[in-house]
Amino acid sequence: MIAQTQTRVLTCIQCGKCTGSCPESGRTPFNVRMLMRKKQFQNAIEESIPWYCTSCGSCTIRCPRDVKPSEVIIEMRAALVENGSIPVTIQKALENTFVQKNPWGRSRAKRGAWFEKMDIEIPHVSETETKRLLFACCIQAYDPRCMVIPVNVATILKKAGIEFGVLGEEEACCGNEIRRIGESGLFEELQEENRATFEEYGVKEIIALSPHCMNALKKEYGDLGIKISHYTEVLAPMFTYGTVVPKGSYNKKVIYHDPCFLGKQNGIFDEPRDILKSVNGLELLEFSRSRDNSLCCEGGGGRMFFEVEATYQRNAEVRVQDAVNRGAEEIVTSCPFCVMTLEDPATEKGIKVKELSEILMEVL
Amino acid sequence: MSYALVVSEVRRGIFEERNLDSIGLCTHLGKDAILIIPEGEYGIKEQLVNSIVKVKVEEAVFLNPLNMVNILEKVVADRGKPDMIVFTNSSSGTELASYAAGYFDLPIITDVNSCDKDQGIFYKSYYSDKIFGEFRPIGNGTAIVTVRSGSFKDFAADKDVAPSVGTMEDVAVSSARTFMEFVEEEKSDVDITKAEFLLSLGRGVGNKDEVSDYEELAGMLKAVIAGSRPVIDKLWLPKARQVGTSGKTVKPKVYLAMGVSGAFQHVAGMKDSDCIIAVNKDAEAPIFQYAHYGIIADMHKVRDKLKDILKG
Amino acid sequence: MNIIVFTKRVPATQEEELRIIGEGSAVDLSKVPFKVNDWDNYSVEEAVRIVEKSGGAVTAVSVGDAESDEVLRRAIAMGAKDGFLVESGDIVHDPNARATLIQNFLKKENVPFDAIFTGVQSEDDQFASLGGILAAKMRLPFVSMVIGIDSFEKDHAVVRRELEGGLQERVKVMLPCVMSIQTGINEPRYVSIMGIRKASKVERKIFKSADYQENVTAKIEVARWIYPPKKAGATILSGELESACKELIGILKEKGVYQ
Repeated sequence: MIAQTQTRVLTCIQCGKCTGSCPESGRTPFNVRMLMRKKQFQNAIEESIPWYCTSCGSCTIRCPRDVKPSEVIIEMRAALVENGSIPVTIQKALENTFVQKNPWGRSRAKRGAWFEKMDIEIPHVSETETKRLLFACCIQAYDPRCMVIPVNVATILKKAGIEFGVLGEEEACCGNEIRRIGESGLFEELQEENRATFEEYGVKEIIALSPHCMNALKKEYGDLGIKISHYTEVLAPMFTYGTVVPKGSYNKKVIYHDPCFLGKQNGIFDEPRDILKSVNGLELLEFSRSRDNSLCCEGGGGRMFFEVEATYQRNAEVRVQDAVNRGAEEIVTSCPFCVMTLEDPATEKGIKVKELSEILMEVL
Repeated sequence: MSYALVVSEVRRGIFEERNLDSIGLCTHLGKDAILIIPEGEYGIKEQLVNSIVKVKVEEAVFLNPLNMVNILEKVVADRGKPDMIVFTNSSSGTELASYAAGYFDLPIITDVNSCDKDQGIFYKSYYSDKIFGEFRPIGNGTAIVTVRSGSFKDFAADKDVAPSVGTMEDVAVSSARTFMEFVEEEKSDVDITKAEFLLSLGRGVGNKDEVSDYEELAGMLKAVIAGSRPVIDKLWLPKARQVGTSGKTVKPKVYLAMGVSGAFQHVAGMKDSDCIIAVNKDAEAPIFQYAHYGIIADMHKVRDKLKDILKG
Repeated sequence: MNIIVFTKRVPATQEEELRIIGEGSAVDLSKVPFKVNDWDNYSVEEAVRIVEKSGGAVTAVSVGDAESDEVLRRAIAMGAKDGFLVESGDIVHDPNARATLIQNFLKKENVPFDAIFTGVQSEDDQFASLGGILAAKMRLPFVSMVIGIDSFEKDHAVVRRELEGGLQERVKVMLPCVMSIQTGINEPRYVSIMGIRKASKVERKIFKSADYQENVTAKIEVARWIYPPKKAGATILSGELESACKELIGILKEKGVYQ
């Protein structure tokens, strides 16, 4: 593995496309091209540097030589993890995940709290005919702000007559961020545990709510033989073909923010937009940087648990300012991490951030 | 005679307030209390106990477990076996108590917060204070307990007569452990995880100019200033003051959150504080779900009012 | 320097809602995840740092059920040379009984040491007594609440004890001794899953607690487990701002953080 990386890094021609597309380079001490250079010469790398990466994936997508810089950075982190010298907050997130199977260390027994309070009955996936699983994801299972997302999506799916079930406390963290933090051993454990659970209940299809979970399940769990999709992929056809018709209207100018793990890394650009376009009265605006050029919110790759030392204007602020400049009344996105990072500066600018399902709940 | 022995905690010449909890427990159980204390002037209400033994040693010698067992041995030789020996539940209290328990082979129950005197039961918290155990010493010999601060002091009451006062000399002093000096923690680099009282500022503070007024309030209250991510992000407070998932996890005795909305990432870093007081003008702010006390008002007005009261 | 360090596997109860079962006779921990006792994690780290600097070996010892092997693997991954499990099926609530068992074990197995480290307390029972009892039984010097080790020489150590209100005291203690280590003394390294897997290859010795039972009798008993008085929801201090603020100051006084 390491040898492979070394070979890959040696093919780097230092073109700088990675740095040019990186949401951190140029404004923080983090510079992807330079890191690849140092790796080529096996020079020492300052310990704090690899933690700046948000795992947005732009560098890997743009790289003309398939060096996969974002993966090289994960390996740099992995070396620090093996050494045991990692930022305390990251360490805590990993230890929490080891014990409670979620990085916030909340009780695993309470992972099903979001559906236990709902009016509608949601079955365990084993009791469904379709064996279709709604995968909740850690942050949405625990954070009261993000908990509305599974609640909303479950309600919408019910209305649309789509059968699904849940795992509750048997679900473990997907490990997407854990792998990116460089803790491959822990990622493997989570993966094995979830895999075994899917197998035990004969899961045939998974609807992921967070693009991060979708990414891990789809691309990093090996061949599960399970169809994995993001919830917007499931809902989009129903809205565009009119199986589900929003009754109300939403007379607002709304701007859509592409989450990195949904958009540029998994090519899901149109589905959320199609859903939004089907809503009466909603005027859909676009950021100056959108779709595969979308600016990362800086919530991924472990950055939820780590604040960099450098002081600079956060991308979320840049994003919110752009939304205001474009005349948007609301920012909509379809990722819990994006909601969390954008909401802070948005509140200050007096503009709302909504997760896509929140708009749908208002018009259905 | 049946009695209880109270080992007082005296630090830098001050008779610690929590000793009253040790005395209060004895009063509550209806036991005569003999207080042992290093010789000195502390201005204590002597009538709270039945008897006082002033030990002619320095405070640091007294608070050393290797010497305390010698002191206890002498008291017992003199006065007979006590029903119990009571210590404060503090750094030195538990150190002395546990060593004495091992030395004399006695039962020990620490961190006692209440008791059932009829059944001889002491309550002690278990599992992050989520469960209480009803503990009972086995047999009728002497038991050692340490008492949680604040739990029995209200029982302490004056006796009818002034206590008899005796002195103890010639205590054998161990050289295996010796006191060198006190060290004050460095103030320059405040560690918010160690503070007992945090005044935490949230986004509601509005702008940097307001922060100094809160620092002034914190100074008056002897609180340490902390903040949530938006406040740190804007450099209104240094990074070391950040509470939350990407900052520090704190468990102070009191967490006074002003203008903090209570986002998940912040709450994760402070929800286990003993007492959370929230001030926010938004009654719907999630912070109130975690708070023990709340004031729904403009934080600046609360700040100004508090300052007025404290000045007056 | 040879250091024996005790490490315990404890239920992670901080986030859990615990249930009392059998009419108060037990607490249901069947669904609670377990972890290493926080204080012991700091103790192991401190011991490892000392031997990394001045040579010698760290021996990690755990008294508990077979599952406690987990915390021994962890200690080995952190740098302990050996891991000893004193296997005991029952939970020993009484620190006296626990300390006697440990004393018998150390004596019988003749484990060499210059110092014994324990955590100040364990998260589950919060007794904060094991180190002191053990030291006294073995007639060794004892220091608790150790928040810094300034020097660790052949025959003595200079350590700082954490007192209250930001105060510490520096004391000199002769070796061999028992130290109870406070959290915050260091920043324990991260132990990766790979690290633990590697540590699994180091053999851990298993001893049966039944072999060390001389004088091990409980001196205290648990009559019953109960729920503590319920905390009420947030009390809103309403009324005039002046009276609400005065009430607030009253609360600060009651909690002892403002005089």
